[in-house]
Amino acid sequence: MADFSKRPVVIGLEVHIQLSTDTKLFCSCPTDYIGKEPNSNTCPICLAVPGTLPLLNDRAVALGSRMGLGLHGEIQHYSNFHRKNYFYPDLAKAYQITQYGLTISVGGYLDIESEGGAKRVRVHHLHLEEDAGKLVHPTADGRLTGAAYSLVDYNRGGVPLSEIVSEPDMSSPAEARDYVVRLRQLARYLDVSDGEMESGSLRVDANISLSNPDGSYGTRVEIKNMNSLKSLERALMYEISRQNKVLDSGGRIIQETRLWDDAEEVTRSMRNKETASDYRYYPEMDLAPIVITDDQIDKFRRSMPELPWEKRERFADCFGLSKEETSILTEQKELARYYEDVVSNGAPPSRAANWVRMEVLRSLNEHGLRDIRDFKVRPELLAELVKRVEAREISSTAAKEVLDLLASGEPDLGEAIKRVGAPAGRVTGDDLSALADRILSENPDVADAIRSGQDKKGGKVKFLQGLVMKETKGQADPKEASEVLSRKLGF
Amino acid sequence: MQIHELTAVETAKAIKEKKFSSVEAVKAGFERISKYEGHVGALITTLEEEALRKASEIDSRLARGEDAGPLAGVPYIVKDNFCTHGIRTTCSSRILENWKPTYNASPVNYMNDAGAILMAKANLDEFAMGSSTENSIIGPTKNPRDLRRVPGGSSGGSAAAVAAGYVPVALGTDTGGSVRQPAAFCGIQGLKPSYGEVSRYGIIAYCSALDQVSPLARSVEDLAVAMEILARADSSDTTCDGYDRPKFSGALSTENLKGCRIGVFAGFEASQMDPDLYGALSKAGDMCREAGAAVEPIDLPIAVKYGVATYYVTALADASSKLGCYDGIRYGTHIDGPTLADMYANTRTASFGEEVRRRIILGTCLLTEGFYQNYYGPALKVRTKMTEEFDGIFEKYDAYLLPTTPSLPYLLGTKETDPNRMYLGDVFTVPISLGGLPGLNLSMGFNGDGLPLSVQIVGPRYGDSKVLGVASVLERMIGRPRVCDPRALGEVA
Repeated sequence: MADFSKRPVVIGLEVHIQLSTDTKLFCSCPTDYIGKEPNSNTCPICLAVPGTLPLLNDRAVALGSRMGLGLHGEIQHYSNFHRKNYFYPDLAKAYQITQYGLTISVGGYLDIESEGGAKRVRVHHLHLEEDAGKLVHPTADGRLTGAAYSLVDYNRGGVPLSEIVSEPDMSSPAEARDYVVRLRQLARYLDVSDGEMESGSLRVDANISLSNPDGSYGTRVEIKNMNSLKSLERALMYEISRQNKVLDSGGRIIQETRLWDDAEEVTRSMRNKETASDYRYYPEMDLAPIVITDDQIDKFRRSMPELPWEKRERFADCFGLSKEETSILTEQKELARYYEDVVSNGAPPSRAANWVRMEVLRSLNEHGLRDIRDFKVRPELLAELVKRVEAREISSTAAKEVLDLLASGEPDLGEAIKRVGAPAGRVTGDDLSALADRILSENPDVADAIRSGQDKKGGKVKFLQGLVMKETKGQADPKEASEVLSRKLGF
Repeated sequence: MQIHELTAVETAKAIKEKKFSSVEAVKAGFERISKYEGHVGALITTLEEEALRKASEIDSRLARGEDAGPLAGVPYIVKDNFCTHGIRTTCSSRILENWKPTYNASPVNYMNDAGAILMAKANLDEFAMGSSTENSIIGPTKNPRDLRRVPGGSSGGSAAAVAAGYVPVALGTDTGGSVRQPAAFCGIQGLKPSYGEVSRYGIIAYCSALDQVSPLARSVEDLAVAMEILARADSSDTTCDGYDRPKFSGALSTENLKGCRIGVFAGFEASQMDPDLYGALSKAGDMCREAGAAVEPIDLPIAVKYGVATYYVTALADASSKLGCYDGIRYGTHIDGPTLADMYANTRTASFGEEVRRRIILGTCLLTEGFYQNYYGPALKVRTKMTEEFDGIFEKYDAYLLPTTPSLPYLLGTKETDPNRMYLGDVFTVPISLGGLPGLNLSMGFNGDGLPLSVQIVGPRYGDSKVLGVASVLERMIGRPRVCDPRALGEVA
């Protein structure tokens, strides 16, 4: 386990998010490269055919600006692109077009909440750039080593990314994780990106150092290749231990880039400062500068939806929900929307919150659904169900079964209630007595054991009581059921 | 006059009036080509069959009374760095030796839409890097005015083709003088428009920041008409300006230069450059005065002192990254090797010529950490200072005259061994490129040895019309350049 007390940890993150445009950053090829036949989403521009020129996708500029505004950044009236030069087969032009120096959004911050409490992480800037293609190595493990040849797929080449560079304001892997979670949430709220780490729509590079005894920054190490939140945290944990060990044994940290190996759970040196690439940044003269007017910035601002933290605050104020409830309900804007629709259809806010938070999420999970919009129980239906529970027309237990039926495709609430078999109204008096007799006769061993005094802790009576409640779909009073059973058992 | 001696406008008019057909015009061009191309070597690819087919299409359209465009049936040539659909586009380089683009450069589409007939693809210095058209896969182009001399470069093939009467009009590209200097060496007119006037889409880049498509012709009127066809906004090139362009041929009605203020370069003594060219500049100044202009001498200290260095830093840096795409993977020559790095090295070493490799290496070096701060950074600052110097001039003057080149066309093989000397030949053209200004080479007749003389007319950014106006007045006074039958001149002292 990493030791945080020994030397303060300093973490800064560079997060790439794929902007959800229909077309690439500099041409009109589609961006949906996943599962596509290699090199089918390409054109002369993204293949760097001689004579072609890049054309800037306005939508990417709008999405980048939106994200910048979401991060409280300052949208720049004038920014431009540079060429980042390096040779690699996945880069058709031998340079990546990226912003450098003059970027589309500068400054800003993101508030996070982690085990250490609330914290503001400052954002250095946000810039636009194009993605590279992909190399495919025909080896068993998919690695370059041992491959007789490699294939290149340019489908991803030119897909728009925005890179968000934080200040080194995070001091633990948990904070780094929370920053990424909040950033992803923001991107999704703004419809800027789907933010999926597994599919590569969101990629994180981390810079981490351990501070010196005098408080000055230590030597920074960059870690790449973390494909999930879990591997981000593990890689940072590993790196803290590694650096502490090196320093404890009197060693020196060298400035380098390390790759996280998810299988071995270690970071490995990729290149150090001496062998670091010199990208020879050069202004991209094939593109006119990006000029954004005050009017456009106003327009972007006006088109901003309610942001996660604004929604949390409103849910707490308007619906009287707890902090935990608001944070779960606002995690995804679609879920928040669903909840609000349930409430606006007449369900009491607090009970609706419980239902959405507990039962709906459970059901979604059971049905393997990631998006509430695919959930068969539409908000108005759930509202109706919640209202019936509230009116004591149906027990909570029965209602949960009803919900499951609805979620499995039963479209009609009345029909679902009938199918669950929950009796209308309560089971009491003679009905309850007759049911108790049947339960006792069906479980003679249990009844005998109780009568012969073997139920000192009362567990066996509770078991019978549970059977009664199950048979009545919860429509009996548990206390009354217990009393009726005890009487029949002779005490 | 014979067909091949006519200008583009005259040819178009004659075809429209059915004095001869487009097919006849194309045939006349190919007669010249078959007669002289063996000596001149201006063309990499000829397109006789396609040209005749298109010409007969134009003839049919005209016969039906259709408007087939302002240059209907007129033959033209493009430099071989313009992409042409299905037609080999080599850039004079082994790396693109057999490459056929799948699309047309925008300017090629514009010319075709105007009814012009593409006859051939012209020779150039590899990737437009050079001033003599000697760095080429097909060997050097010779100057038709004197076959022992270079035609200038890098658009030497286009210039030679126009001078030799293959075509009345050709397109080249000018980055630091690549159209103006060969126009000067071949004794014809050539205009590098303001940066941003003409789309660069489909032009194989040398330097994105400076490349500009430029017409060459034997009359200023042809240049103006070509500009009307070429200069327009193009949604495929964001550096091509979207502004409403003037009617360039309107400038041709400029009767005299009364009320005009014209500056004449006064930075060199006669001894610092070729005396005949110095004389041509003075003569041009006198002609302006005669035409009613107020003419004053004016220096250009920053641009002349720092222009060449600034230009080469800017252009080479750009070229080094722009030429990275020739990696042997997607198109062009591929030479394998045991590792990826070997494949890159094998492909690029064997397929780029010496001058191109020199410029890539220099450009790469210039952008490397440390060098950038010492070279590229200062170059940007100097460029700003130069722009201010030009702004100062054009606050006072309508146009500025300076030489196009400091020397007359030199003998083949005499300068290519010394790149530094060749680079200095660009002293008067590169500052204009760095300023993004329009610059027109105007033929000023010949010296006593029969070698072409010229002057460069420069205007403010987007003042292309002004430049054409001044040029047309001077052209009327001195006469239009004529087609020549390519030949070698006698011994030169």
